Amino acid sequence: MKNPLSAAAYRRRAPGEPRAIGYLYILPALVLYAAFLLYPFGQSVWLSFVHWDGLTVATPAGFDNYRDLFTDPALRAPFAHALLLLVFYSALPVAIGLLLAALMSRARVRGMTFFRTVLFLPQVLALIVVGVAWRSILAPDGLLNDTLHAVGLGSLARPWLGDYDWALPAVGIVGTWVGTGLCMVLFLAGAQRIPRELYEAARMDGAGPVREFFSVTLPGLRPQIAVALTLTIVAGLRNFDLIYITTSGGPGNSTSVPAYEVYHRAFETNQVGSAAAVGVALTVLIFVLTVTVSRLVEGRRS
Amino acid sequence: MGFPSTGSRRVRRRAVPILLTAGLALLATACVPGTDGSQAYGPGNGPAVAVPDPAKAGKVTLTVWDQEIRGGTNGELQQLNKEFERKYPNVKIKRVARSFNDLKTTLKLALSGNNPPDVVQANQGYPDMVSFVQAGLLAPLDNYAGVYAWNTRYPNTLLNLNRVSADGTDFGTGRLYGISQTGEYIGVYYNKDVLAKAGVKPPKTWGEFTASLSRLKDRGKLPIQFGNLDKYPAIHTFGVLQDQLAAAEVRDTVLGRGTGFDTTATKDAAATLADWTKRGYLPKGSNGLGYDDAAKKFSSGDGGYLLTGTWLLADLKKAMGDKLGLMTPPPASAGGAPVTTGGQGLAWSITSRSRHPEVAAAYLDFITNKHAADVMTEHGVLPAVPGAAAERVDPDTVDGQMIAGWKRLSAADGLVPYLDYSSPTFFDTITAALQGVISGKTSPEKFAATLQQDYGAFMKKQRERHAATPAPAEPK
Amino acid sequence: MTTRLERTVTYGILALFSVIALTPVIGILSTAFDSQDSLDTGFSLPEGGLHWSNFADAWNRGHFGTYLGNSVLVTAAVVAATTVLAVLAAYAFGVMRFPGSTVLFYLFVIGLTLPQEALVVPLYFDLRYAELTDTYWALILPQTAQSLAFGVFWMRTYFRGSARSVIEAARIDGANTWTTLWRVLVPMGRPAISTMVVITFMWTWNEFLMALVMVSDEAHRTVPLGLAFFQGQHSSDAALLAAASVLIALPVVVVYVALQRRFIEGMLGGAVKE
Repeated sequence: MKNPLSAAAYRRRAPGEPRAIGYLYILPALVLYAAFLLYPFGQSVWLSFVHWDGLTVATPAGFDNYRDLFTDPALRAPFAHALLLLVFYSALPVAIGLLLAALMSRARVRGMTFFRTVLFLPQVLALIVVGVAWRSILAPDGLLNDTLHAVGLGSLARPWLGDYDWALPAVGIVGTWVGTGLCMVLFLAGAQRIPRELYEAARMDGAGPVREFFSVTLPGLRPQIAVALTLTIVAGLRNFDLIYITTSGGPGNSTSVPAYEVYHRAFETNQVGSAAAVGVALTVLIFVLTVTVSRLVEGRRS
Repeated sequence: MGFPSTGSRRVRRRAVPILLTAGLALLATACVPGTDGSQAYGPGNGPAVAVPDPAKAGKVTLTVWDQEIRGGTNGELQQLNKEFERKYPNVKIKRVARSFNDLKTTLKLALSGNNPPDVVQANQGYPDMVSFVQAGLLAPLDNYAGVYAWNTRYPNTLLNLNRVSADGTDFGTGRLYGISQTGEYIGVYYNKDVLAKAGVKPPKTWGEFTASLSRLKDRGKLPIQFGNLDKYPAIHTFGVLQDQLAAAEVRDTVLGRGTGFDTTATKDAAATLADWTKRGYLPKGSNGLGYDDAAKKFSSGDGGYLLTGTWLLADLKKAMGDKLGLMTPPPASAGGAPVTTGGQGLAWSITSRSRHPEVAAAYLDFITNKHAADVMTEHGVLPAVPGAAAERVDPDTVDGQMIAGWKRLSAADGLVPYLDYSSPTFFDTITAALQGVISGKTSPEKFAATLQQDYGAFMKKQRERHAATPAPAEPK
Repeated sequence: MTTRLERTVTYGILALFSVIALTPVIGILSTAFDSQDSLDTGFSLPEGGLHWSNFADAWNRGHFGTYLGNSVLVTAAVVAATTVLAVLAAYAFGVMRFPGSTVLFYLFVIGLTLPQEALVVPLYFDLRYAELTDTYWALILPQTAQSLAFGVFWMRTYFRGSARSVIEAARIDGANTWTTLWRVLVPMGRPAISTMVVITFMWTWNEFLMALVMVSDEAHRTVPLGLAFFQGQHSSDAALLAAASVLIALPVVVVYVALQRRFIEGMLGGAVKE
């Protein structure tokens, strides 16, 4: 069966069926997908070029809404916040996930299922539940401050979500907490597929855990790292739920993010065109970042 | 990967222009329903000329959205709803209650949606009520006001806060778009035990009040409990401070005819707020503490004073009993006329697309009439127009203090409207800026300038509008 | 092979991160069983025994019965629709060749990076125009479309990797594409499909923004929305809030614990064949 001829024949033509049938299989999904995803996105782009309050007649805006993204500090700040949050939502979970996966791939751990279940748990909780839980932990006399006082670090205690400098990192840590499990499970799956012989060879060469990690584990995990980065970047830039439930963008506007700004402008302050522009810009940002990730991480593979 | 990589790259290169074309095709056809203005609803006008009779309306479900989730108002409203349903068995009230912030975030969506509620509580001023009227989402109530004699039930100063000009541009004048159930003012709640332990008597003057703060602090007590995570509470605290300095001026500014916000009063009040935080008169990190959490802490004995609205009385009283006292912010000299931020509760409005505007109007009348006022008093709620039951309340109780304060404020014309009414974006502007002042990030000068920037820009727009269309005659 | 030290360090770090992962969960649990009068929001053994009544209170006051019903209905519909449509489309993308297939596939892949925030605004106005806001459709249709991006991408990977010999064998046995798909490939692809199901389930169950925008009446509210409003109303009632959170998270956690093995197997299987 596996001779070159049949493989080539297969590639040319689906086995025994007219080619057009492929369209029929795709059609239902495509119709729904186009109507509720592609088309609205087109509309968003269109909306971003008008001034509209959501009720009266829309007027053309040219590039006004996009220019505001660069000139209006109230719009520039959310994007800066979003980028900073990516450190917490994406970089830290991937780093921690790698560390854990490296440790686990080296030693055979008993009770692996238990640890895996526990570490992945934050992923399955609704973000709203996560927000409620962390809001109470980060409250002025919540668990975090209580702990700091208990271990004699009371001077570090602060109202995390109400502190101008710390609210953003505090919200970021919640993202780290959520994302780490996902990364770990991905990397673990990847690490177990790295041929044992590579490790044995590395050890024979006298590689310690660190060198082993950099010369065997890390290159072996490249595809998983790309997936993890992509998933966490996308999740980190669409963190509407957490912001809504924990800070609503406060204190001041120090935790406002594009995702929150879209909702706020479109449905609260009657700036639909501007909201659409923020949404489109967010899409572009996500697109650029994910393409960069796949170029940087995956590109080197071939 | 199943594909040879060169193949996939080739396809990818070809895919880009195709995708772009597909995208452009989508764009060309894209048009969002409503952008032609077709979804804007003209301002409806209630046709009522006689008192509506809900009993004859057939089976009706009245959907009501409110934010009366606290003990007192929640209880009072539940009772009134039940009584209304008993009086008109054909009417069923579907009540949806949520917090002030949640109502504020979702109301516009609900009003412009397919099945708007019949009755909603709308916050007065430019951010909410005026923008709803502009969009034709609320029904004018002037006819009902005549039929039900609301015009005489309420003093004009209160009614005017629920008015919007017919063209939907000006607040405080024109048509009536809601009536309020409760009166409210920002008072100074105090914990008698905590004050007594620190040797502080309830202050009679503003000077005594500020002196007592440092005394409480010295005795190791938190002088004023305060939580501002929800952003709006600082409007109230700041308002009280600002009113002490320039009440009349601030009122004119909010109503669009004053000197604006770049004033010494604004700066001094902001400086005081920052100073109180620095001195520890307000708790450290109040920006991170929830409003309800602060109230809960105050009622459990943490804090000598709590500066907030009369809406919280029933809940505080339930937890604190006789330990709770309430006064209007003390005047500059003993026995002087009090001033504070306040006015009335959120307006109860009828949506323009309600299918039962007459039943809704009857409901509005029912929850604000004399009987309703007495029910409110029984539940520890301050009615906008206190009735017979309020007369019978023992003046030495905290309820009595609340009612007496309301009467003195009304008589002295000492109520200054909430500052967030000032411009369509003012709620966001002032709440964000006040969090900055409290944290010490924003200087009083910067704060005043930020407010004025928002306010000034809006005033300029209003003036241009008025210049374009002659101002409607003010009803007297 | 591994030294004792390495082993200890491994367990130590694992335990540390497990504690970190569990702390907020245990905090919520302990608060949920605490007395409603307690001011403590942190860790403490509930005073005076477990207060089971918190759950009944939260359930009644927050109308969570209705919300859970809505969430189950919406999630079931989205998962079912996504599974069927994604399997069909991915099958064509994975094993058939026809003009434009690559371009169409990339159209679906784009959906993986399109954030909802870029769609929700016009979607709201479209659905309002179609009088679909405040219906289940307003939640089901957009979320299915969004899940399809992942579903098609994910299942195509499976179909790509499924052994050609199997397909050839089925063809020689006289099976057409339809029977090959449902009789052979789908049963074989259970791990991949269950991964897709669990992920779609999670996304839909957790969805907040869509529900916030599309649903304003109480009758169609889903649990995340219910909890957000419940928090607004009872923000100082830590015990009630925690109890409500537990009620909402419990179904997912139960499903997760039951299916987690299959879920990870599925991820592993899918990754191998990538």
